[in-house]
Amino acid sequence: MAEKKIEGEHLHPPAAMVDEVSEFEILEIAVRELAIEKGLFSADDHRRWSDYMETVGPLPAGRLVAKAWLDPEFKKLAVTDGIKASLSVGIDWINDMPSSFGTPSDYCNLRVLEDTPKLKHVVVCTLCSCYPRPILGQSPEWYRTPNYRRRIVRWPRQVLSEFGLQLPEDVEVRVEDSNQKSRFIVLPVRPEGTEGWTEDQLAEIVTRDCLIGVAVPKPDKTANDKRSVHPAINPVEHH
Amino acid sequence: MTDINPEKIELDMEMTSRNLDDSPISLLEKIKKEGRVWDDLSEQYGVDNPDPPWKVGLDSTCDVLAELSCSQPLPALERRWEEDELSKKLYADVPFPERQLLALAHSMIRRGLIDEGDLARHMKIVDKRLNMV
Repeated sequence: MAEKKIEGEHLHPPAAMVDEVSEFEILEIAVRELAIEKGLFSADDHRRWSDYMETVGPLPAGRLVAKAWLDPEFKKLAVTDGIKASLSVGIDWINDMPSSFGTPSDYCNLRVLEDTPKLKHVVVCTLCSCYPRPILGQSPEWYRTPNYRRRIVRWPRQVLSEFGLQLPEDVEVRVEDSNQKSRFIVLPVRPEGTEGWTEDQLAEIVTRDCLIGVAVPKPDKTANDKRSVHPAINPVEHH
Repeated sequence: MTDINPEKIELDMEMTSRNLDDSPISLLEKIKKEGRVWDDLSEQYGVDNPDPPWKVGLDSTCDVLAELSCSQPLPALERRWEEDELSKKLYADVPFPERQLLALAHSMIRRGLIDEGDLARHMKIVDKRLNMV
């Protein structure tokens, strides 16, 4: 007997999914619900914030760089007024975040750091993990670690080489330390081999790691490498 | 060349001089020991999402605890400092973001924002709810 096709039937195999509930998932929900029950925040606050966080990712920052590579006037705008330039890639630093959270000034100074053949920027937050989330999404695990945060400012060339980025001695490395008021992304040098490319093609090779500054764009590379995470061994010392 | 804001060094010193009760919390130790982490689950079930689905919820909880304009029950800088300390001392063997979650729960319990007994009871309720299929 021929099988009858049901309207709207899924014709592809179901996507893989985790078919069990972990203790960690239960803990996350329980902490959140208990905090709501105790009045630390409201369910609505949490939902509005998580709805917003679901929308952020690294694509707008990659597109901003691609636009800057193609349009010298836009590049000037990007390096002088990152907030205004962000509007061209759909990010409004002032109004996008759910209202009633924080103060806009806490977030609203995005600086776009332009690399040159003799100058390489790299971004860190030495104190915690400040990151330009509205335009770059959530920070990767390695960016949050004390190991990266402490060593990149002391031995930037060594740390960059661990990321696979070997810089000639005559290239100056400048490490920019994020803070509560200022967030940074790197505008890397456009790589050779991309002549005649469209904005879409260029945006694809500007990965998150390129925007933090620990990698440089390559015509054949559209994904970040998986990074090992190491503990920090040396204690913090203040001189 | 690296310019570290002097204000940051002061803040870092202020953080490192703070007291943190990093003694183990039995409920969290049990979860640390018995809970299945996303790396294992995603490998077993062939899921390629690098982060567990609950991570957005966790990040949002951290943010709303820090960002609410009036009360700020758990400021971001203090939470991150405590997370670093706890990651080093208690939760070093736990992968991220499970480690971040344990550290958040630890900070909230030690600050009296939530109670360990209440949390254990509420986890049972959530467990029952999620597994009611």
